[in-house]
Amino acid sequence: MIAYYFNLALRSFRRNKALTALMVLSIALGIGASMTTMTVFYVLSGDPLPGRSHTLFYPQLDAEPLRGFAPGDEPADQLTRYDAETLLREKRGDRQTLTTGGSASIALQGTTLAPFRVESRYSSSDFFPMFDVPFLYGSGWPASSDENRERVTVIAKALNERVFGGENSVGRSLQIEGASFEVIGVIDDWRPTPKFYDMYSSRFGKPEQVFVPFSTSRDLRLARSGNMNCWGDSGEDPEGSEALNAPCVWIQYWVQLDTPAKAADYRQYLAQYSARQRSAGRFERPDDVRLHDLMGWLDENNVVPGDVRLQLWLALGFLVVCLVNTVGLLLAKFLRRSSEIGVRRALGASRRDVFFQCLVEAGTVGLAGGVLGLGLAQLGLWAVRHQPASYAELARLDPVMLASTFVLAIAVSLLAGLLPAWRAMQVTPAIQLKSQ
Amino acid sequence: MDIRPILSTLLRHKTASALIVLEIALSCAIICNALFLIGERVGRMNRVSGLAESEMVRLQITGIGEDENADALTRSDLALFRGLPGVKSATVTNQVPFVNSSWNTSIRLQPGQERPTENLTMYMADENFVETFGLQLSSGRNFNADEMQEWSVINAPGVSFPPTAVIITRSVAERLFPGESALGKSIYIDDDEPTPIVGVVEHLARPSSQGGPAAYQYSMILPVRVPYSLGGNYVLRTDPERRGEVLAAARAAVLDNGPQRIILEDNTMTFGQLRIDYYQQDRAMAWLLVAVCVALLVVTALGIVGLASFWVQQRTKQIGVRRALGATRGQILRYFQLENLILATIGIALGMLMAFAINQLLMGRYELPRLPLVYLPVGAVLLWLLGQIAVYGPASKAASVPPAVATRSA
Amino acid sequence: MLNMRQVTKVYRTSLVETHALRSLDLLVEEGEFVAVTGPSGSGKTTFLNIAGLLEDFTGGEFSLDGENVKGLSDDARSRLRNQKIGFIFQSFNLIPDLNLFDNVDVPLRYRGMPAAERKLRIEDSLGMVGLSSRMKHFPAELSGGQQQRAAIARALAGSPRLLLADEPTGNLDSQMARSVLELMEDINQQGTTIVMVTHDPELAARAQRNVHIVDGMATDLSVEPGLMRAASAPVDGAHDTRA
Repeated sequence: MIAYYFNLALRSFRRNKALTALMVLSIALGIGASMTTMTVFYVLSGDPLPGRSHTLFYPQLDAEPLRGFAPGDEPADQLTRYDAETLLREKRGDRQTLTTGGSASIALQGTTLAPFRVESRYSSSDFFPMFDVPFLYGSGWPASSDENRERVTVIAKALNERVFGGENSVGRSLQIEGASFEVIGVIDDWRPTPKFYDMYSSRFGKPEQVFVPFSTSRDLRLARSGNMNCWGDSGEDPEGSEALNAPCVWIQYWVQLDTPAKAADYRQYLAQYSARQRSAGRFERPDDVRLHDLMGWLDENNVVPGDVRLQLWLALGFLVVCLVNTVGLLLAKFLRRSSEIGVRRALGASRRDVFFQCLVEAGTVGLAGGVLGLGLAQLGLWAVRHQPASYAELARLDPVMLASTFVLAIAVSLLAGLLPAWRAMQVTPAIQLKSQ
Repeated sequence: MDIRPILSTLLRHKTASALIVLEIALSCAIICNALFLIGERVGRMNRVSGLAESEMVRLQITGIGEDENADALTRSDLALFRGLPGVKSATVTNQVPFVNSSWNTSIRLQPGQERPTENLTMYMADENFVETFGLQLSSGRNFNADEMQEWSVINAPGVSFPPTAVIITRSVAERLFPGESALGKSIYIDDDEPTPIVGVVEHLARPSSQGGPAAYQYSMILPVRVPYSLGGNYVLRTDPERRGEVLAAARAAVLDNGPQRIILEDNTMTFGQLRIDYYQQDRAMAWLLVAVCVALLVVTALGIVGLASFWVQQRTKQIGVRRALGATRGQILRYFQLENLILATIGIALGMLMAFAINQLLMGRYELPRLPLVYLPVGAVLLWLLGQIAVYGPASKAASVPPAVATRSA
Repeated sequence: MLNMRQVTKVYRTSLVETHALRSLDLLVEEGEFVAVTGPSGSGKTTFLNIAGLLEDFTGGEFSLDGENVKGLSDDARSRLRNQKIGFIFQSFNLIPDLNLFDNVDVPLRYRGMPAAERKLRIEDSLGMVGLSSRMKHFPAELSGGQQQRAAIARALAGSPRLLLADEPTGNLDSQMARSVLELMEDINQQGTTIVMVTHDPELAARAQRNVHIVDGMATDLSVEPGLMRAASAPVDGAHDTRA
């Protein structure tokens, strides 16, 4: 019967081209707008490391002094260098890494290539396995490189192409801030969305071009970037706010804990650590340790920009208006055909038959609206890709969103069709036949 | 024309009437808020920065490795810049507006105060800063030569040099010392030593939107000469027509002067361009809102046309009877227009309530102020006009129904 | 076939109560050709609606083809209507969007018949009314008489037990009307019971039996022997009811 009703719907469209076009357009506009904003939202609120994100955690400690503390204050969202290096040394997770951002000038000896500056990242060895970083050539550095402050570097594919023409550069030498580094790995295309590991670097931008062991970066006093929050003086230390004991938070720390039990254990460890620091006089505030899983941490930081969320709500509001519009137009369409409905009822159609016929017609409008809406959504996403936002290039329809377009279109049109179908089904056979 | 029969007719077609009312209400609610948001964004984009933007260019550079002679090199860079044709003044500073990174610090009004009073952004300036930026001093003066400190000196490990003087903006003065003159008073940037306020500028915007819209002008200027290696911001002031020329000359001068340095091309441009880039997203959002308003109006108009046409078709016989009884075409037309006006009015009234409700939600989540009442009449007029335009087509069709229809039985 | 006893129909609104049918008795045996006449407002439309299971009735008993139809749900009535009754309307009521084939197809669809069987029946039906060559034409392309014949084909396609006709020749000129009536007589000859509502006394005279409805009640009238055809089914069982 559905095929029959579908056929009838198509014929009815041909007969009422204007009204049908109006309805299809109405749904298409609403779907196009909604799918554009929903796709952007979906891309930005997605899991950057599906399959791994539930095992990755971000700890917080409250290292600030008692002065200025009010109960309810949140602990800082980064760690001090001392805390980060200590946690790393004590190795209580399955894997752990500290990391922070920087910028570095790159040069290649013996070439005419002018030096240029790139974003860099300083981390420890576990960074690469923990975050499943794919390598084109070579690999990350072993833990010994961290300890020995070796001058090794992992570079991104784009940098490799710019400097080495894309060939296997493992073993080659690269000048970073004037110092000679050995390339030991080249990262393949990698763009976790969002760039979760550092909430103070571009959240949806491309990852850094050059990776260097943190210890080495301190050795060479490489420039840092990101957020640094200090609450005091670093005293005599020549490294200033970047010193080991500086009263500043500027390091991000991630730990891999493979089971919930281990996560619980680690939380306890953090509490003990905090207590230890307090008794040693380093921490002054009451113990306040946090351990967020990756998605929770993204939530905490409201990683989806406010504008994107606002746009989503706007589009959904627009969709609701389109839905109400369609209800009215479908009502008009069905009731115009009251006499035909009366005839069908007289010929044996039950109320349910009429209801289903109307719903199938509504669904067909939805299908057509979905096709047109898909086109509009592609147009919308094209416009988004030309926007000056860091996430612009990521705005694309994937198969899930594509299917969702049709599901949404048909769902909306069926919903819109409920009231008109119900009204159509009330048409009684007897009365309609006489009032021609 | 009597409204009662129209109302009773509408009540007998509750579903269709309700749909039109609902559609108009929703459109009104969304459009009122959208117009408000557009206003907000445009307002944001037009915020006064305090800078002589049309006359300024920014050059951002970085060195390679550590530079022992950064201070000297910086001074010679500046001397070179001032010698370039067209350059009125030049300065070096740690940060500029219209970028997303900033230096901020908390200040206190009393020594040893537990919690800080406010958080301000700090611009580190030499003697030429105020002039290069084109800032207006509303009271007090610029820094003296003896108040100047060198960054490399005060930032050295183990020493503590509280700032010798500070210039604040009018917003900060009103925030810290409401109703009084801020000159001569002190704030505590360093925990123990006060820093006297020697000048107040009208406007100086923060580099980023930290602290929200209210804190946009919470800036202070410190008399600290920074080397180029701290942020690498050279700012030059010239005539608007010579900006391109000056920028090119400055680039060449820097590359020629001293050891190899890198110009960050992505960040080197005129302030006019910096401002445009900084507000690009707001612009995009404003345009998007405009598009949504237009689309909403189109969809609502189409809906009204569709439903009104249907209604007219349903009542063709009735219309014919009225005409046969003596109604003119004009009266039929006006009947339908009045009907639409009533529905639109109910819809708009409902829509205004919904607009406030939506505004409440947005206020909570997006730091927006309350919807100003002025947007409501704008939305109302738009939708009234829209309804009348949309219903004109079907209403004229109704008016052209011939009276003979009354006698035909079908 | 059709057995109505003391059937009443009351329409109630908040202000008025209309008794459309009062205590109507009627028995139509299988194979009869009955004409129902009466002035306007007499209740013949209501009678037809009830007989056709288009409406439910307030009081009394009504059985159709041996089945008691009182209090049936809308679904059940629709099914029964679809299987047992064929309708012919004054204004044909063909669906303009569909060609003749698809129009005749409509009642068969609601029966859930497989495609092959439907095709056979449709072709047979249209053949019976002489419209095989016009199967793919649309109602707008046919004359009034052809449209009514198509409607008859639609009514017959499902092999109904009872044919209900409401002023079947009302919108036709005299020549077309005659051919339609002849068709109906043929159908009746082959065993289908026909109940026809009409104003036209000439038309009524062609039927075997006349029933007159006035003020919601039915009365049998005598039949004009001159126009009576040799009926294949016996005429007994007609009940006389005095008003």
